[in-house]
Amino acid sequence: MEAPLIHLTLTLPSSLIGEFFPILQQGFLVTAHVGCTLQRLLCRQWGIAPDYVATRITTIFLDSKATDNVETAIVRDGATIALSGAMPGLVGATMRRGGHLAAMRGAMTHQETAADATDRIGTVRVKLFNLLLTELGPVFLKRGILMGCSDVISFFRERDETFWESCDGGNINGTPVGAGLLRTTQPLCVGGSVRLTVNFR
Amino acid sequence: MDRIARIDMGAAGGPKVTFEEVGEYAGLGGRALTSLVIATEVHPLCHPLGAENKLIFAPGMLSGTTGSMTGRLSVGCKSPLTGTIKESNAGGQAAQVLARIGYAAVILEGKPAGDDLYKIIINKDGITVEVDNSLQLMDNYPLVEKLRKEYGDKVAYITIGSAGERQLLAASIACTDPELRPTRHCGRGGVGAVMGAKRVKAIILDDAGMKMRPAKEPEKFRDANRKFVEGLRKHPVTGEGLPAYGTNVLTNVLNEAGGYPTRNFKGGVFEGSAKLSGEAQAELEVKRGGTATHGCHRGCVIQCSGIFNDKDGNYVTKQPEYETVWSHGGHCGIDDLDTVAKLDYMDDNFGLDTIEMGVTIGVAMDAGLAEFGDREAAIRLMEEVGKGTPLGRVLGCGAEITGKVFGVEKVPVVKGQALPAYDPRPIQGIGVTYATTTQGADHTAGYAIATNILKVGGDVDPLKTEGQVELSRNLQIATAAIDSTGMCLFIAFAIMDQPETFQALLDMLGAFYGITMTGDDVVALGKKVLSAERDFNKRAGFTKEHDRLPRFFYTDPIAPHNQTFSVPDEELDQLFNW
Ligand code: SF4
Repeated sequence: MEAPLIHLTLTLPSSLIGEFFPILQQGFLVTAHVGCTLQRLLCRQWGIAPDYVATRITTIFLDSKATDNVETAIVRDGATIALSGAMPGLVGATMRRGGHLAAMRGAMTHQETAADATDRIGTVRVKLFNLLLTELGPVFLKRGILMGCSDVISFFRERDETFWESCDGGNINGTPVGAGLLRTTQPLCVGGSVRLTVNFR
Repeated sequence: MDRIARIDMGAAGGPKVTFEEVGEYAGLGGRALTSLVIATEVHPLCHPLGAENKLIFAPGMLSGTTGSMTGRLSVGCKSPLTGTIKESNAGGQAAQVLARIGYAAVILEGKPAGDDLYKIIINKDGITVEVDNSLQLMDNYPLVEKLRKEYGDKVAYITIGSAGERQLLAASIACTDPELRPTRHCGRGGVGAVMGAKRVKAIILDDAGMKMRPAKEPEKFRDANRKFVEGLRKHPVTGEGLPAYGTNVLTNVLNEAGGYPTRNFKGGVFEGSAKLSGEAQAELEVKRGGTATHGCHRGCVIQCSGIFNDKDGNYVTKQPEYETVWSHGGHCGIDDLDTVAKLDYMDDNFGLDTIEMGVTIGVAMDAGLAEFGDREAAIRLMEEVGKGTPLGRVLGCGAEITGKVFGVEKVPVVKGQALPAYDPRPIQGIGVTYATTTQGADHTAGYAIATNILKVGGDVDPLKTEGQVELSRNLQIATAAIDSTGMCLFIAFAIMDQPETFQALLDMLGAFYGITMTGDDVVALGKKVLSAERDFNKRAGFTKEHDRLPRFFYTDPIAPHNQTFSVPDEELDQLFNW
């Protein structure tokens, strides 16, 4: 039988957002309505302002391909979406959405295909880079991200005193749990999945 | 900057200094000056380490002024690594100080007969050249410490470490930063070996008693500089991204794009990249009491650099750049920033190009000298270079020679110089630049991305793949021009996106020299420099067949995009047709 999904909520000071950067960069899973355009996913589902998408998220990779047009690129179940702010250098300019150096990429530009894009609930992996880590990281963490239980256990084990001293504790499946107990990782069974929500104060 | 100093290191009776007016080189600076002097005065078939080669130090056109970002020093010669013309530039304080003392260029000529080692002192009273054999085989950090005891802290130092003295082909020339650390290097092309061949260990630049170079139209210059700085501060790359994360912010993006060359270009994605990223690096630096924001010279408003401390808070090195983190990191299968920082320090200390050395160690790993990912082995191999053992001398001569000595088939070099941190298979346009640049594989040769504003060659349709050659040409022209101004190339984004910032740059140049400067003038300067460089290379024996990537880029597809480099040779051959 599949292990049940654990709902884990933490409350932390906003200064600790940096502790989550490794997870946010490597990618985390979120449930989403797939089969829609990137624009729809980013703005309608995730509530990111269209203006922010247009001006701040200057580089987007959909399944490792640089994407120029968020209004036509379709997000399919299991897709990986990497979001980045402005990047230096020639390659930074080359990867930029709709930039005048897009031709430098060759064939690694995302081209939309007619492959099946059924409209349904699925999961996508999201990666956040550079300036977007601090700007969008708290938004996604507040909405909740899906992680393997063993990844959460490793994350907790790697945290130092400062983290645990500042942690207000949290709750698991609605039951309050103190920071001390969380630190032991005992309430988390290996093998299952966790929906981690972080409230920054 | 109205004089050129020539120092004939091989003159009978000892080095002889002469001075001359800038003459035909008037109004030029940086790369324009170094390349035109070489193209005009150096025999293209000379041995780069012989008496006929010249080593030219030239501050940029705006160096030594109150203008921001103007601290690049160009060093030029015939390269012992590539056999081509070479311009290698660095930040640090040297360009500003040399320009204020009044020299458009200092040119080292000839070669002394004996084994004596020299230091050159340049100040307002002139230039003296002294024998100082106590400096023999010293590395950059202890060398600068020793020189500081004699010449103090109000000077700038240009030095070579043991690698330059041994004339290793990956040897760099170090310039000190504002804290007098030898961290800013003219790295590429083995320029340090040429300085070593001329037996010059150190140049001490003292601008005491000298003032900032005055602009012809001071008000206009001040106003233009203010607008230029405003433009840099408000742009997300130059005002936020680079100050926060430095150039290493590119690691995550290159990896995501599948263009992060891993384990000697065997793959385009490195599983350990998040541990090496600029974001991780900045966090670590700040946590350990270093800084993620630091300028390599006074007057830099972007401040893309930083200070990397060890876990006990002790200084290790300046913030390693993206290319360094890649070459010593993912290229060698190493995912540890502390190891990368240590190797960066060793490069700076011995006086070596970080790109060439990282790529070389990766090639050595491919040859079986160590396992990919073996941190201790990478450090051991670098120690060999520092000690000057026979193995160390092979490694210190770069990737191509190491590949030949150890029988490695796939060695990522163009014209003998190691490819930097961007795989040309998924990012084809950068492969065009690697293949065709006058300098050997070099990512900065096509970096000045403001070509849309310069309208070099008109607009290019970004959706046409054949536009890659045209884009690369435009980039190379624009870069040659920017490299001549003394401006750090990282201004490129702000001038690309903000026409008013580009205009401010033109106005700075115009107000300083009392002329009207247009985009066309910038393009003309870039073309002039590239034409001279190309002509030198042609006379040195380079043909279109040298403008190619190594064969494996055409035959071995790379994951995840499974692409090979596919820009046809005939298109590459059109690059210099303008
Ligand atoms: S932006 Fe970086 S490389 Fe350029 S001058 Fe400033 S610190 Fe030096």
